[in-house]
Amino acid sequence: MSAAGAGRSVTAMAAIEIQGLTKRFGKVHAVTDLSFTVEAGRVTGFLGPNGAGKSTTLRMLLGLIRPDAGAGLFGGRRYEDLPHPSAQVGVVLEDASFHPGRTGRNHLRVLATAGRHPTGRVDEVLAQVDLGPAAANRRVKGYSMGMRQRLAIAAALLGDPEVLILDEPANGLDPPGIRWMRDLLRSQAARGRAVLVSSHLLSEVAQSADDVVVISHGVLRASGPLRQVLGAANGAGGPVTRVRAADGDRLAALLRGRGITLESDGSGVLLAHGVPPEAVGAVAAEHRVALTELGAQSLSLEEAFLELTEDRK
Amino acid sequence: MTALLHAELIKLRTTRTFVALAATAVGISLLLAALVSSLTEPTEESVLIDVFASDASSFFILVLAVIGISGEWRHRTITSSLLAAPDRLRFLAAKTLAFAAAGILLSLLISIAVTIVGLAILTVRDLPTPEAGELAGLAMRNALVAALLGAFGVAIGALVRNQVVAVVGLLVLTFVVETTLITFVPEVARFGPFTALPTATADISAEDAGLGDDIELLAPGLAALAMLAWIGAAFATGAALLRRRDLE
Repeated sequence: MSAAGAGRSVTAMAAIEIQGLTKRFGKVHAVTDLSFTVEAGRVTGFLGPNGAGKSTTLRMLLGLIRPDAGAGLFGGRRYEDLPHPSAQVGVVLEDASFHPGRTGRNHLRVLATAGRHPTGRVDEVLAQVDLGPAAANRRVKGYSMGMRQRLAIAAALLGDPEVLILDEPANGLDPPGIRWMRDLLRSQAARGRAVLVSSHLLSEVAQSADDVVVISHGVLRASGPLRQVLGAANGAGGPVTRVRAADGDRLAALLRGRGITLESDGSGVLLAHGVPPEAVGAVAAEHRVALTELGAQSLSLEEAFLELTEDRK
Repeated sequence: MTALLHAELIKLRTTRTFVALAATAVGISLLLAALVSSLTEPTEESVLIDVFASDASSFFILVLAVIGISGEWRHRTITSSLLAAPDRLRFLAAKTLAFAAAGILLSLLISIAVTIVGLAILTVRDLPTPEAGELAGLAMRNALVAALLGAFGVAIGALVRNQVVAVVGLLVLTFVVETTLITFVPEVARFGPFTALPTATADISAEDAGLGDDIELLAPGLAALAMLAWIGAAFATGAALLRRRDLE
């Protein structure tokens, strides 16, 4: 077995388990009693607005910040207690930093050597992230943001780890780069890897995440399969029905007469709050009002995200 | 630990700062040796120190070590370093050993270069040259000093995260504080880690080192032990700080 494969036991138990993590910086409660799990073979989106406590949580999980309480575990062990951490957990942090005077290849050589990975892995991961020889042999200070991000991902993949943690990985990537990132996340999950990817944009991870964990002000707001969490967000304010009628004014008067709150979007569509489509349809049928549109109004991804993360203090 | 040590040595080799400062140390040492052997007429008794003690490696490795550890904070590479080696004590120990090893290599390189140039010029001028054993002894003592100062540089660099403050502080301590102590409080200055103890460890007299007649240097072995005590104290403090620090 190569060094890269030695000491793997993380996915045998649970991939990642966050247990009651808490951290205060002075008077600021960065993270409060946060608990969730990340399963192997799934992409888990770790979502929250900027300043929600995502990076602090990830850094506590990785032993870079000491928690005031709680623990972050990989297969039941803290990161610093893993026998071969960089072969078990690959990490891309938001502010991935490199010595500007060192080439990309040499940066990876340093990490491969420190992590006891075969030096041949350097060229393999460079190819995996599409950094060609010319770019790899250039000093990092000449790299674009996208190239730096690819180099950071290459470093995370050096040990072919079973857990990948990426903090805002799409930062600096152009649209093709974002698609490449999305494919990478999916392919890693398809190989049975656990992928935890943080973002402040739900739309960014919605296309690749199986599960989501949503936090705001350092507190867990929701967690579970993406569809389930979005469904819960949609129902949080009660049902909203979208309806359009040939005689909109008459329908509006009938609905208001039943005490239903209405809102118009200006194009003839009425949004009826607090009632499901069946109730609106029944009113229309009872008074023989012809409808041209009727259905449940769903929140967009971003609206659902805002619903989950809005200030509830 | 071997892997971490190797990784730290790759870090050293793959930045221009180290190469540039190491080349400067070699150049200055060679220039001094060439000038002294060309322009003065050293005697049989003085030739070893006058010509062949011009090893600038100790100061440069000290500066390089401070730059090396504080650069981890400046460029924020400390994060990837500690992800690869989460045991912060082992990380600091590997860096300390790496700079000690680099100090030995740099010092030996300088000793070889200075010996070749010095002997060549002295021979051409038909002036006395030292015995091979004397040259070898001096090279070993200089290498020991470079190793100690390389390790000390990492340890004191671990105390200060700001690279500019660390380097300026080092220069102030070396050229202002310790020099002032040597002049006004020589009985205290003999324990100074930047000038007095390295000079004593290299078995160079205070007079030959230009430190004046007032200071009484320690014996070489005792001076080396005192240097180790300084390194141990700075390393323990630096390690404690590093272990407590959050990498936000």
